[in-house]
Amino acid sequence: MKAKVAFFDFTSCEGCQLDVLNLTGEELLDLLGAIEIVNFREAISNRSDDYDIAFIEGSISREAEIPRLQKIRAQAKVLVALGACACIGGVNCLKNHLPMEQALKMVYGDAAKYYDTIPARPINAVVPVDFYVRGCPIQTGELVKVVKALLLGKKPDIPNYPVCTECKMAGNICVFEFGKTCLGPVTRAGCNAICVTGGRQCWGCRGLVDEPNKNSEEEILKKHGLTPEQVVEKFKIYNTYAEVKK
Amino acid sequence: MKGNSVLIVDDEAIVRESIRDWLADAGYDVATAETAEEALETIAKRDFSVMVLDIRLPGQTGLSILKEVKAQRPWIKSIIITAYPSEETTKEATRLGAIDYMVKPLAPDDLEHLIRETIESVGKEPTVITPPKAPGKPAAKAIEIKKSVVVSKQSFKSLVNNLIKITDVYGVKAKRGKYVYDSISSANELALNYDVTVLPPTAYLFPPRETILKFKLGDGSKSEPVTNNTPRAIIGVHPYDIKAIEMLDEAFITTNPDPNYIARRQNSLIIGVDNLNPSPKSFAPSMGTHTAENGFDLMLTDLGTKYMVTIGSKKGADLLRKYAQISQPTADDIAKQKAVLDEAQAKYQLHLDVPRERLPKLLEDSYDDAYWQSRSETCLSCGSCVMVCPTCFCFDVQDDVALNLKEGQRTRQWDGCMLVDFAKVATGENFRHDKASRFRHRIYRKGKYVIERYGRMGCVGCGRCAIACLAEIASPLEAFNAIAESVRAKQAAQRILREARPESELYAPRPAQLVRVEQLAAKEKVFEMKFLDGKELGHQPGQFVSVSILGIGESPFGVATSPTRTGSFEFAVRNVGSVTNAIHNLQKGAVVGIRGPFGNGFNVKALEGKDILFIAGGIGLFPVRSLIQYVMDRRKQFGRAIVLFGARTPAERLFVDELAAWKNNPDLEFYETVDRGTPDWTGNVGVITTLIPKVQIDPRKTMAIVVGPPIMYRFVIVELKKKDLPDENIIMSLERRMKCGVGKCGHCQINGVYVCQEGPVFSLAQLRNLREAV
Repeated sequence: MKAKVAFFDFTSCEGCQLDVLNLTGEELLDLLGAIEIVNFREAISNRSDDYDIAFIEGSISREAEIPRLQKIRAQAKVLVALGACACIGGVNCLKNHLPMEQALKMVYGDAAKYYDTIPARPINAVVPVDFYVRGCPIQTGELVKVVKALLLGKKPDIPNYPVCTECKMAGNICVFEFGKTCLGPVTRAGCNAICVTGGRQCWGCRGLVDEPNKNSEEEILKKHGLTPEQVVEKFKIYNTYAEVKK
Repeated sequence: MKGNSVLIVDDEAIVRESIRDWLADAGYDVATAETAEEALETIAKRDFSVMVLDIRLPGQTGLSILKEVKAQRPWIKSIIITAYPSEETTKEATRLGAIDYMVKPLAPDDLEHLIRETIESVGKEPTVITPPKAPGKPAAKAIEIKKSVVVSKQSFKSLVNNLIKITDVYGVKAKRGKYVYDSISSANELALNYDVTVLPPTAYLFPPRETILKFKLGDGSKSEPVTNNTPRAIIGVHPYDIKAIEMLDEAFITTNPDPNYIARRQNSLIIGVDNLNPSPKSFAPSMGTHTAENGFDLMLTDLGTKYMVTIGSKKGADLLRKYAQISQPTADDIAKQKAVLDEAQAKYQLHLDVPRERLPKLLEDSYDDAYWQSRSETCLSCGSCVMVCPTCFCFDVQDDVALNLKEGQRTRQWDGCMLVDFAKVATGENFRHDKASRFRHRIYRKGKYVIERYGRMGCVGCGRCAIACLAEIASPLEAFNAIAESVRAKQAAQRILREARPESELYAPRPAQLVRVEQLAAKEKVFEMKFLDGKELGHQPGQFVSVSILGIGESPFGVATSPTRTGSFEFAVRNVGSVTNAIHNLQKGAVVGIRGPFGNGFNVKALEGKDILFIAGGIGLFPVRSLIQYVMDRRKQFGRAIVLFGARTPAERLFVDELAAWKNNPDLEFYETVDRGTPDWTGNVGVITTLIPKVQIDPRKTMAIVVGPPIMYRFVIVELKKKDLPDENIIMSLERRMKCGVGKCGHCQINGVYVCQEGPVFSLAQLRNLREAV
């Protein structure tokens, strides 16, 4: 019997689910050969509440999302966070630096009174999470890796070392050499340093490693020309939640 | 014309035109094309240095342009721009010769920077393609291994281009101002006068990721080894990397021969090149890796228009015979090779402070050194140092199963001891859980474990880790030198400590008995002392003792008698404070403590044979009396002895009986004065300086001994200088506050000098350099 899989979205751009659909035809068929997708609003019209594995995209930013997520958790044997918003809170948490009323007002103006909002949070702030597929957006390869690990009943090999390790393996020249700054030294690898390989730098979308040496990274960023404020801003983009939680 | 010509190919007008304008403003010769077809037409007509190419074009894609360009004008450097980056297109574009990749939206200055670097790096190697010459005639003689021959650069290029036809060729290329090993499709891409590459060439022998097993699951489950036997040539390997390969050979081949490594190694041809342009972070000579005699098939030394080529193997010899025109090196060639290698070696800035053979022992002794903790504080555990290291070869093994769950592969990928989880086991225990122990482990591998296990240096001094480390802590050289210094300091401290003979009596006074007291003047008394143990004081004239009254304190006093007068010694005291008051209250028979003698005293040896002019003011007579007695007792050893003494009033004259005796002694010339006379005083009146003009001296053979109140020195010196006495001949004894007498407490210090040790006797020449002194 194939494992029944459901995808759900909370506060997000739904881009990570879109990336699931961006798997090549062959990969997608292989995936569908291994699992049965019973719930995926972005792709299929079926709805079923009978599932084993739930993939959750998005962070939690409204009261009403909390019971909905709890219900999914109660049903799912395995719950997987999908993408930066679900895993670490992501860019949604940028609003946590503002009073909630002000954030509502900024977004909805006079219509603010019709909406409610709470400080955004990753889903593990609400329910226990079994596995994480990180990134903004996710790496589909990693999603497939996690699915395979689930099917085999093993823990997926998700690195707990910084992006630098993979960036070096990719043969990249360090972006600091070109006067840019990068969060690679403290950000969890697993993306094969795709942004640096593609000519950009790391913004920390996969969250920090378990033991980031933040002090040292901050000193390095300052030494390479960032003001203390810019250093804070750089960490904020994806990793606000970890900061605020502290 | 080429020069700085750029072709921009993009179907989006706004992108195409904005780049054109920006580059034109920056001085480039810019052309544009909207489609692949237009681009190909333009390229057919004229040449360019660089092409900026959008991958997604209507009709033919950018990749098809690359193919065409690679065939027609392989020297054009292509930079891909795209809004849709993917690993596949990146790889494909790289395979087709694109040198870099930028993601839209573009920062125009980044693009301009890249184009400039590309043109500059190409400029180092001429881009003129010459048709390959017909293979040279086989050399008349068989080419010998270990022999050196000369090959022109053109001929070498032709060799490389021929090699490219028959095998995969990887070589050193310029990339954005740095150098990398990469697949090459033309000898013109090589940039062999490089400093260091980002990744080492060992990555072709032990790649970042490789499959080691393929397996099937379920019924009939089985696995089979996978190795890569593709022949390849690696061109441009520096000697330190060749040494690294030799080290890896030991690790992978000597015990439990590793099939994957051996397959790649045996199928790799290594063409080395001497490093004439070392990286400022490299310390290869200290590791003995700046040159290599073995470990290559061919080794090049750049002699300008040609290479000196050392043949390291039959494979290398065959290659030369087949594809190169060789000639015998002339004496000039050999001299030039030596000169360029010597010049290169002189360029290294960093050096190991100890012989490298001593590193294992040094590290052995430094396991608990504070350095590991302190220096690893800023370590990011990012793995950069170990990923770029040519001698690092640790790996992780992972299984990757296909989604059908029926088959899969086991892969190994680079791993490193600097990563947090490297030594973590399934139960959660991490055997190297802190930064310091990981940092130390890596340095120990480089300087000890690898050497002991494989007999080769674990660090080849390439400097890549030092370049890669953002925290700037990774260089093994720095660690080795720091540890060597720390061990040196520790050994010195241990030696001092081990050989220390504590002077347990240093601060404990010796008991001495007061045998005679005599009042000298209203406030001055002289005390004659004998040690209870009967021993002598053992002093020199001019030295002082510390007199101790238990419960009150200690004070220093100059010894007032000569060591020639044995059995007892005297010191004289003016009653001015608590200790002096307590001393003045002593009765004959009392026992007091004495420490000393301290200080240097007068250098009586240096005074021998000289005329001596004693100038004593007030109680300055006390220490001077010691020397006068000494001179009197050994009269024949000295020349004239002239004594000038001044007191403020006749009542304050000291040792009046002795003064009278000196006056009548024919061996002494004695002059005396008082500042203020009294009605019954018949002698000189006036300050002591008034006596000096009355004395005739020979400045070449006269030593002046001057002791008195501070104010006296300044005026006496003026008078003595009038008599042309050199500074070296003016000897003074200084008064300073003294507590310990043994050069520790610091009270008596004048600039860097301890008066109780180097003084209290100084020549004026010495004092001229001590600005606090007078």
